Amino acid sequence: MTAMVVGLFLLSFVYTPHDPNEMQLTMRFIGPGENPRYILGTDYFGRDILSRIIYGSRSIVLVSFVAVTLGSVVGSLLGAVAGMVKKGPLSAIIMRAIDGLMAFPGILLAMMMVAAIGKGQEGAIVAISVFMIPPFARLVYSLILDSETHLFIKAASSYNISRCRLLFKHYLPLLLPRLITLFTACIGTAIMIETSLSFLGLGVQPPHASWGLMLNEARQHFLQYPYLAMTPGIAIALSVLGFNLLGDGLNDALSKRRSR
Amino acid sequence: MLSYIYKRTSNAVQVLLFVSIITFAVLQWIPGDAAQLILGSEATPENLARLRTALGLDRPWYIQYWHWLKGLVQFDLGRSYVFGQDVVTLIQQRLPVTISIAVFSMLIASTIAIVLGILAAIRKNTMVDYLATGIMQLGSAVPAFWLGMLMIVYFGLELKWFPVSGYVPPDRGLGGYLNSIAMPSIVLAIGEVGMLLRTVRTSMLEALGQDFMDMAKAKGLSSFTIYFKYALRSAMIAPINVMGLQFAKLVGGTVVVESVFGLPGVGRLILVAVEQRDVFLLQGLVMFVTALVILISLLVDIAVMFINPRIRIEMQGE
Repeated sequence: MTAMVVGLFLLSFVYTPHDPNEMQLTMRFIGPGENPRYILGTDYFGRDILSRIIYGSRSIVLVSFVAVTLGSVVGSLLGAVAGMVKKGPLSAIIMRAIDGLMAFPGILLAMMMVAAIGKGQEGAIVAISVFMIPPFARLVYSLILDSETHLFIKAASSYNISRCRLLFKHYLPLLLPRLITLFTACIGTAIMIETSLSFLGLGVQPPHASWGLMLNEARQHFLQYPYLAMTPGIAIALSVLGFNLLGDGLNDALSKRRSR
Repeated sequence: MLSYIYKRTSNAVQVLLFVSIITFAVLQWIPGDAAQLILGSEATPENLARLRTALGLDRPWYIQYWHWLKGLVQFDLGRSYVFGQDVVTLIQQRLPVTISIAVFSMLIASTIAIVLGILAAIRKNTMVDYLATGIMQLGSAVPAFWLGMLMIVYFGLELKWFPVSGYVPPDRGLGGYLNSIAMPSIVLAIGEVGMLLRTVRTSMLEALGQDFMDMAKAKGLSSFTIYFKYALRSAMIAPINVMGLQFAKLVGGTVVVESVFGLPGVGRLILVAVEQRDVFLLQGLVMFVTALVILISLLVDIAVMFINPRIRIEMQGE
């Protein structure tokens, strides 16, 4: 399923059956399967749904990957700084701020960021990445505190190397597998927030295609034409499910290796 | 015990303080200040300057922040300029809707999670267990707004069980009230149930594997007593904690669900505030909602302390 999403994303650069934004007003509301030229049917403006689904995967993949990457880098660095300086006021301030960020209900924080930055793809990216900072900061922070007692870390610190070197040379290999697992799990959440934002009309702006936005546009007409709401919804559910399962799988594989 | 409550409370207050700083800082970024947004682009510089002075926008940010904070402590969240009303009044009008769907969905989600979670743990690796796992995965992957739309088409339009949208206050008939919040609550509940179910199942499995379970079995107690009196009690601690955390997600979820079902709740108010860039309204709403979430998680922590004998004993040992 994950491969499907990535595949759709790659496909969107080379091929869509029709121009996703092309409007054919004579071809409005063709149901799925009614016309071989439009396999999944057309919407209110006569735009091809299949093309819009393929094209819409771009914003999903782009926004979620960029946002989680940003969030994980900033979050990990904050967590690392807090973990390395330990009992200083700096560490306390960072971790309290992280607690503060975590206290916001997810979408509320994202909406607030959108209000500050503006609607659209950039707004969504920043909003989601801020939301992703706390889990990474907390993970890195707690892992660094936990692994302090490892012999090789103690040995390395006794050489009096710089904290920076200690972090990248000795802690990073230890942290990396856990970070990758969290990263995968967060992609699912990011897709969910991105689609929610576009559904509320705060993410990707029309006429561009995004799955959440397609559902938002379907709201006007889905009482007569329920099929409009089907495809984008299934696409969202499958991609979130795919990344969640991948995250779970990685997590299981990791804990098995650790217990061995 | 008191020292624990004190510690948790002071921690919550600190977090709240940081929340207020983050909120204030983020909303300072909004291009154009409140005076500009109120008067529009046609405003004369004199009028702008006058309104800025009236709103206190010409003072340095830390004084503005201090005034805002002082207002917060006195439950004065400022005035919305889109609605021209006090933010507190606006919230009061819309809170019943949001609380209704939040509470009902929590009830639905926890009932399903507890029953199914226990069954899945007792009958591990059977159909029930697989069903529970399936629900967990699907519940967290299906977007609430989509599920809401599907339910509107099927239960609202085809079967006509529930109204398609709108809200009926309870004083205009209990039946209509329950009907109007049924679908939104179910939609929200399905999003919540996965995490809860997972926690109930895991902690129930843990409880079943403990020594006192063998003891209970050796005493020849009925399996009903064993499962519900012994195992469940020790297995409920983690789920209650999760419920507290889930409440935060729930409040966020109401924004989407209220929008789908056209309910006049706090979530809709937040959406309006974001769209219109009503800074004071948004600031007030964010602080209110987050404070509510923090308060609930504080209460949950204290409740868990009373339920969990282990924490209680640790406290006495201190």
